Amino acid sequence: MDVLASLAHGFEVALTPLNLSLAFSGAFLGTLIGALPGIGPVNGVAILIPIAYALKLPPESALILLAGVYYGAEYGGRISSILLNVPGDAGAVITTLDGYPMAQKGKAGEALALSAISSFIGGTLAVIGLTLFAPYLAEWAIKFGPAEYFALMVFAFSTLASLAGKNPVKALIASIFGLMLATVGIDPGSGVPRFTFGEMKLYDGVDFLVVAIGLFAISEVLTMMESSYMGSAQRIKVQTALVSFKTFMFSLWSILRSSLIGFFIGVLPGAGASIASAVAYTTEKRLVDREGTFGTGDPRGVAAPEAANNAASGGAMVPMLTLGVPGSGTTAVLLGALMMFNVTPGPLIFEQRPEVVWGLIASMYIGNIMLLVLNLPLVGLFARILTIPRWFLVPSIAALSFVGVYAVNNSAFDLLFMTGIGVVGYLMRKAGFPLAPVILGLVLGRLMEVNLRRALAISGGDWSILYAGTLSKTLWALAILSLLFPYLVSLLGPRRQDLSLDE
Amino acid sequence: MAENNSRNSDRIAGVLLLLLSAGYGLEAIRLQADTGYMADPLGPRAFPLLLATALAIFSLYLIFKPDPDPNWPPKRVLLAQLSMLVSFVVYSYALAPLGFLLATTLEMTWLSRLFGADWRSGFLGGLGLALSLYVIFVFGLGIPLPLGHWWPG
Repeated sequence: MDVLASLAHGFEVALTPLNLSLAFSGAFLGTLIGALPGIGPVNGVAILIPIAYALKLPPESALILLAGVYYGAEYGGRISSILLNVPGDAGAVITTLDGYPMAQKGKAGEALALSAISSFIGGTLAVIGLTLFAPYLAEWAIKFGPAEYFALMVFAFSTLASLAGKNPVKALIASIFGLMLATVGIDPGSGVPRFTFGEMKLYDGVDFLVVAIGLFAISEVLTMMESSYMGSAQRIKVQTALVSFKTFMFSLWSILRSSLIGFFIGVLPGAGASIASAVAYTTEKRLVDREGTFGTGDPRGVAAPEAANNAASGGAMVPMLTLGVPGSGTTAVLLGALMMFNVTPGPLIFEQRPEVVWGLIASMYIGNIMLLVLNLPLVGLFARILTIPRWFLVPSIAALSFVGVYAVNNSAFDLLFMTGIGVVGYLMRKAGFPLAPVILGLVLGRLMEVNLRRALAISGGDWSILYAGTLSKTLWALAILSLLFPYLVSLLGPRRQDLSLDE
Repeated sequence: MAENNSRNSDRIAGVLLLLLSAGYGLEAIRLQADTGYMADPLGPRAFPLLLATALAIFSLYLIFKPDPDPNWPPKRVLLAQLSMLVSFVVYSYALAPLGFLLATTLEMTWLSRLFGADWRSGFLGGLGLALSLYVIFVFGLGIPLPLGHWWPG
């Protein structure tokens, strides 16, 4: 058993005291970040990258910490959904539908416990799926040539475009903007500086971290200026989080089905936790809601989206690790972080850096158990976090962004650039341009251009190589199909459900 | 408040993006490089030109098929956002001369004010935040942060 041996090696990496404590810190911080409305997993991961960098962690340890924040945030998001009817992040929007009614009925503790257990089952099943599928996908992807890679990236952008926002054209524009940012700097193929306008600081390219933090965190701070929600949650009292065995068994099938749905949606490029939880909820409603109790505090309505959004965050790791093509904003940020540590994910990573992949996968088994243990008894503590006043919380996000970016290069130019990108991000959010494609474009841009140029070098300048192979043809067809998908749905169905949430 | 039938935001965005694609495309054409040899028949120009063309097409689409305007925030919020941005710019330049502790305390006091705190709690919160970040970064992570030119020594 090849997989088991590799996994055992992964556990050796994950069980070192350093990595164990990083998995714990990631899980703890992730729950916190998820619980606080406004800072979602993307912001959390982006803000923590400079700290991981400054600690001079080896890449596998940094990834264990940052991934812990990512899947931990999916656990935390439900807390304010249930207690305040305000989702902690995009993946927890659906949890408000039955979670808040349960809390109003005095069953807040039960809802929190059940959702923690559902999160654990969803998260763990997804890691098992990751363990089983990732090596095979990587083995298959090793045969990809540059033309296939180029087509694969086009496919990733087009699915993201059709799913990430209301208007696919705006998502495509956002992708191109990201790709354009990636072309700034010295061209690796010819050594010519491009789009630098003589600014030496831009010769190395646009700093990924500066863009990620500006785009997500600074634009979030600007957005928060608008909202009227003042976050005074004084009435929260949760003593115990316990759920009866009977309620758990009542929800078990919903949890298992939703975990499967969540995992496979997570694997798809472009579709992440928010879409997974929405699909799982509607599926369960159709399948098991015979008395019409969904929406009035049905425990299955809490269990289903929570299992699904945690499973989706595990599933989203599959394309990021095996293909090097992330499918969501957060996994794109994780990929960018890995590149900062000189590790390039992709099919070869399983052979070249097994300690990074398998260490991460093993740490996810451990992290999920830690999260369950953290979230059952300590939920009262996390609930108290919600009482932090907004006038302190929002400036803290800004301060962390500034100090993090400054710590990497000690440059005022970076801070100004981050502020500028923050303004662009804010205007994009307002006008309905999704942000995730920008970061995906920035992370994949170089790779996309390199593969295009390699493909054309092989063919001697003949563009038809891009769609010559069967695999490339299939990927191009899928890409076009996914772009047409929203229009086909609106032609067939009465109206398309609005699932457009930023990851 | 924006009218429901007004679609100017996307038109303006479309025009700006069209200008961006033109500027980016022209800059790409001006790139000097030997292109056309076997190892790299495309050279540094082709990919940017591809991007510029695609962006031009999509921005034309945006100009001719715009979405309804979003609800832009009222003037009061816009002013607060603007003052926040100005403070970010000032902070970026002031960080080195004033030092991290002083600059961050002042900046955070101002931001807390914008989010509805009174001067006293805003200042105390900002001071606490600046001190804890300084301790974490300088003593915990070993990353030097500027002390400021006014600091003795």
